Formats: sequence, C-alpha cells, structure tokens
Amino acid sequence: MNLIAIAILAPFSMMVLILTLRRIPAVLALFGAAVGLIASSGLLSSAFSGTNSELLLPGLPDMPLHLVATPLTALLSTMVAVISSMVLVYAVGYMQQDKEKTRFFATMLLFISAMQTLVLAGDWVLLLSAWELIGLSSYLLIGFWYQRAGVKSAATRAFLYTRSADLGLYIAAFILIDNAGSSDIATTLGTGGNAAVVAGLLLLVAAMGKSAQTPLHDWLQGAMAGPTPVSALLHSATLVAAGAILLIRTAPMLPPETLLVIGIVGGITTVITGLIALGERDLKRMLAASTSSQYGLMLLAIGAGIPLAALLHLIAHAAIKSSLFLGAGVFQHSRESTALVDLQGAGRDRPRIFFGFALAAFALAGIPPLSGFFSKDAIIAATLASPDAMLLATFALTGTLLTGAYMARALHILWRGEKQTREIAGLQWMGAGLAVLVILAAILGFTFTTIETLLNNHLDESTLAQILGLSAALSGLALGWFIPAKRLLGPLRPWAQQSFAITGGFDVWLVKPAFAIARSCEQVERGLYATVLAIGRLGLRLGLAARFSDERGIDGLIFSLVNNTIELGNRARTLQSGLIHREMAITVVGTAFILVSALLALLVY
Amino acid sequence: MSIDLLIALITGAALFGVGIYGALSQTNLVMIMMGVELILAGAMVNLVAFWRYLHPDNPAGQMFVLIIMTVMAIEMAVGFGVAIARFRAKGSVEMEEAVELKG
Repeated sequence: MNLIAIAILAPFSMMVLILTLRRIPAVLALFGAAVGLIASSGLLSSAFSGTNSELLLPGLPDMPLHLVATPLTALLSTMVAVISSMVLVYAVGYMQQDKEKTRFFATMLLFISAMQTLVLAGDWVLLLSAWELIGLSSYLLIGFWYQRAGVKSAATRAFLYTRSADLGLYIAAFILIDNAGSSDIATTLGTGGNAAVVAGLLLLVAAMGKSAQTPLHDWLQGAMAGPTPVSALLHSATLVAAGAILLIRTAPMLPPETLLVIGIVGGITTVITGLIALGERDLKRMLAASTSSQYGLMLLAIGAGIPLAALLHLIAHAAIKSSLFLGAGVFQHSRESTALVDLQGAGRDRPRIFFGFALAAFALAGIPPLSGFFSKDAIIAATLASPDAMLLATFALTGTLLTGAYMARALHILWRGEKQTREIAGLQWMGAGLAVLVILAAILGFTFTTIETLLNNHLDESTLAQILGLSAALSGLALGWFIPAKRLLGPLRPWAQQSFAITGGFDVWLVKPAFAIARSCEQVERGLYATVLAIGRLGLRLGLAARFSDERGIDGLIFSLVNNTIELGNRARTLQSGLIHREMAITVVGTAFILVSALLALLVY
Repeated sequence: MSIDLLIALITGAALFGVGIYGALSQTNLVMIMMGVELILAGAMVNLVAFWRYLHPDNPAGQMFVLIIMTVMAIEMAVGFGVAIARFRAKGSVEMEEAVELKG
C-alpha cells in the first residue's frame, strides 16, 4: 500500500476508531500519529533515494485528484508528522485532567490527517478541501473549551478572519486552473503574465489570513483560548504554516511585482507583531504575536526570491515554537494562568522545563549553533541579495532585533520572581514531548545542508548577514533582558497593547459600515412589514364592511320579506274557520252568485 | 240544438247537482272527495257533449277532457294520501274534527 495513503489515513482511521469506541483515546491517537510518522519518514527516505511517489485518485473529469511526495512535500509531511506526534505525547499529560479527551484527540487527529493531505496534495481541488478541513478543525479546537467565557467568540473570530481570506485562495485556484486547463499544481506553476500577478496577490491574501499577517493577524492571539497543545500544533507549526507553505510551493510562478508585495507585507507584519509581542501581557498571546512575526520573516524571504530560506525557517520555527508553547503550557499548569504577572518566577519552579524553554527562545532569537541562527541567517542573506535590499533587509533585521527583545523579556519575567511548588499531573508525558522538540529545535540547523541537497538547491553563505543577524539578535536579547518593556516601547506601548488598533480599524472600516447596512436593511424590512400589515388590515376592514352589508343589507331585506310574508300568512289564517263544509258552501254560493250575475249581464246586453 | 245534446246536458247537470249535494252534506273526507269527483264528472259530460254535437272535427275538446281526467287522477291520489295520513294520525277522517289543521 502506498505510504502517502498511510500517512493520511492512519490518523484519520484512528479518529474514526476513537469516535466509535469512545475509549482509550490517547493510546489510539498516539498509535495513529506514530504510524503516520513512520509512513512520512518512509516518504522522506524514498525522496532521498530519488523516487517521487504519487497517488492518483478518481476526481472530476480530466482533473484527477492526486497526492504527490516530492522532496519538498515529503519534507513538510515529515515535519508535520514529527511535530504532531510530539505534541500528542505532550497532550497525553496536558489533557490528563480533562473530561473530554475523546473529542480532543479525535479533532486533533482530524486536523493531522487534513494537514497531511494539504502538504501532500498535488492538485488544487484536494488542496482546497484540505484547506477547508484544517480551517474547520482549527475552529473546533480553538472552541474546545466552549463553555468558558470568550472562547466561542475567539473561535468564531478566527474562523471568520481565515474564511474571508480563503476567498483569495478560491479565486486564485480558479484563475490558475482556468489558465492552465489542469488542476495539477505543478502544471499551473507555468502560468505567467497578468494571471500570475493577480493569482499571486490572491494567494497572498489567503496566506495572510492563514499565517496571520498584518492586518489579519488579530485572530491568532484570540486563538490562544484553545488548549495549549492546540496552540503548539496548529497555531505555530502547522495550520499557520499552511499560508507560508502555499506561497513556498507556488513561489516559482510568482512574478517580481507580487514578490515585492509579499516581501512588504511580511516586513510590516514582522515589525508590527514584534512590537505587539513586546507589549503583550500574556505569555501565550505573546508567543502568538511572535508566531505572526516569524511568518512575516518567512514572507520576507519569499519576497526576496529565495523560498528555500523561508522553508528552512518554517521547519526550524515549527520545532522552536512548538517547544516554546509546550513549555508555556507547563508553566500554565503550574500557575493556573498564562498572564505574565502570574508567571513571574515560574521558571524557577521547573528549572529543567525552563532550560528547554530558554534553549528554544535562544534558538528563535538566532543564537548559534541553534537552528534559528541558520535559518535567520539564510533569510537575512536572502534579503540582502534581493533587488530591494535596503527595504527588506531593514525589515528582517528589525524583526530579528524584536525577536531577541521579546524572548529575552519573557525569559526575564519567567526567571525573576518567587518560586512556587505545585504538583502537576502528567508532567512526564509533557516533559517527554517537550524534550524531543527542544532537541530538534537545537540541532535542526545541522540538517539544513542535507535539506538543501535534497531539494537540489543551494543557499549562498554570507558573512555580512551572519554578523548583522547575530548582532541584531544579541542586542535584542540584551535590550529585552535589561530594559523593561515599558521603557523600551515608550510611547508605542499603549498602541502595541491594542494590536495597533488594527482591530479598531476593522471596527471602523468594516464592522460599522456593515452594521449601518444591516440597520438600514432592518429599516426597509420594518417598512415592508408595516406595509404588509397595513394591507392586511385594509383587507380585514373590507371584509368587515362586506359582512356588515351582507348581514344588515341583503340578509335584512330578505328576512324582512320573509317576516312580512309570515305576518301576512298569520293574518290570512285567522280569516279561515277550518271547517271544510262552511268554506265549501261559501264557495258554491259565491260561484253561483257570480254565474247568475254573469247570466243577468248577458241577458241585459 | 238536437235532443241528444239536451239529454247529455241534463245528465251532466244532474251529476253536478248530486256532486255538490254530496260534497256539502258529507262529513267524511272520502265522501266529500266522491262529491268533488261527481262535480268534475258532470262538467266533463257537458264538455264532451258540446264537442260531440257541435264541433266533432276539433280534436282540442277531446284532448282537454283527457287532460282533465289526468288531473282528476292526481287530485284523487293527493286527496287519499291526505286521508290516509289523517287516519293514521287520528284514527278517523271526520272533517268536523279537523278544525285544528287551521293552525
């Protein structure tokens, strides 16, 4: 059987099994993820040996659905499988006290199989359906604790933001299919001209929604209302990655104009969300803002024309950010909160967890020899080499600086404070999942050359980029550690804490007009309603009048006729005696009288 | 005017007279109706006589008599129907007792 099918169907069948058995969900979930991981690794090793496997399924006429395992997709599939397996291991511990494990693990598995379908999809139709599925499971997982206040609205907000951006993907896919006459992604990449520009921009819109780029970044912070494993898997490593993956896969098609727009969007996002992360008062929300910021860096790399750098950062970031989230989840359990005020000194409670968290934080900031150093270095080198080096490199370096600053700030807050001790159930599971991911985050950088050979592509080394990146990261770390965020942000702080009022901007530019339209529609509706009611009342009046004229007019006439006739009959009756003989005698006499007088009259004339 | 016509008219008049006497003198509904039948019969004899001796070639007289005979039959049916209904309800058909039909 094809490994591609196993990679997708293993999690999916386990989900079905969990939903039918409703027992031992954690075991089944781990089993499904493990089988998926083995299959994905198999795909990767066959990609190393140079064979691309493909799975062709019947689909629309002339547009078969097919899944492909090229080196790129096999790599992404392996990444998804590794991260999801580790997060599931962690979730076994994290969800130990939760009552609805069945729902949680089933939805997680649904997400994993959908994500595998997304990365392995070889044609647009399958990609679109997988895109929808990850959107759905993300909605379900963010709203997992739907009884808690604000969770439902966060889930709905995330869903609406990404859904509206998804329109871009739909239109882009239709344009590309229409242009190339085939739904095969590889074939459509040959599109050029205006279609490529438009489709590229629309794809960017879709990626902005899913990867939480400014101005659509707001939902990601709200999505932190979900359980921490969800944040670690969906909102750092996989779901959010879908946007970047989409652009990386379509990068060969994108014309320079579109690339510049992508770079600028990424640059603005990395700066703005970096500032938001610096001003954030909640650890998970801070990590979410940082996720947006890192995806901004990836878009920068794509915009600079070197998607390989973005891919490397995507892979490194997946391991780093999921370990950060998993660490944050442990702190959350130990203090029953994610607010930074409550987490002061939480690092001292669990030194080993804190060590892992710090290692991942340094990796994210870009300290050698951790993985983030290599990928950030590649991104900075890419921006320096691009035609718009001044603009893009500034963005990239600012992003790196901010990354260092907010990570140092988080570490500072977690380390400085009172130590508290509290038992956490399932810590071994959480520790195990976290340990593997932290190790990956640390050493992934050394596999990058292998990945480069696998993808048959090579990145230029740049000493300038290394020096600039490292100095930006170090100065960022120093700033974040020694200077409180209050002074660091200065007058920007209230803005940053309100997401730069971009949500407010949406309120003014979209929500208020929408409400105004809705209100005027309601007015029209009410007017229509009143008119209809008035027409109805008029009809009722007419009916009443008709009834009145019928009852009093026509009926009255007829009944008076009837009554008069009866009256007449009553009067006439009294004239009679009821004795037949008398009446008959009168008749005979009367007739005789008439006859005689008639005869007499005859005789006279 | 022939003697035959005269004899016929006298017979009709006699029948008519007997009928009126019967209708007025009897109290029983059946007997009253007999009288009424005799009145009608006398009138019919007159009609037939005039047709037979004065205008034998005009068929209208014949037809008229036939129609009257039909009407007589119907009148008899209705009358006896009333008599039977009255007998069933009260056990007699004496008209002196039927004053309450006046209502």
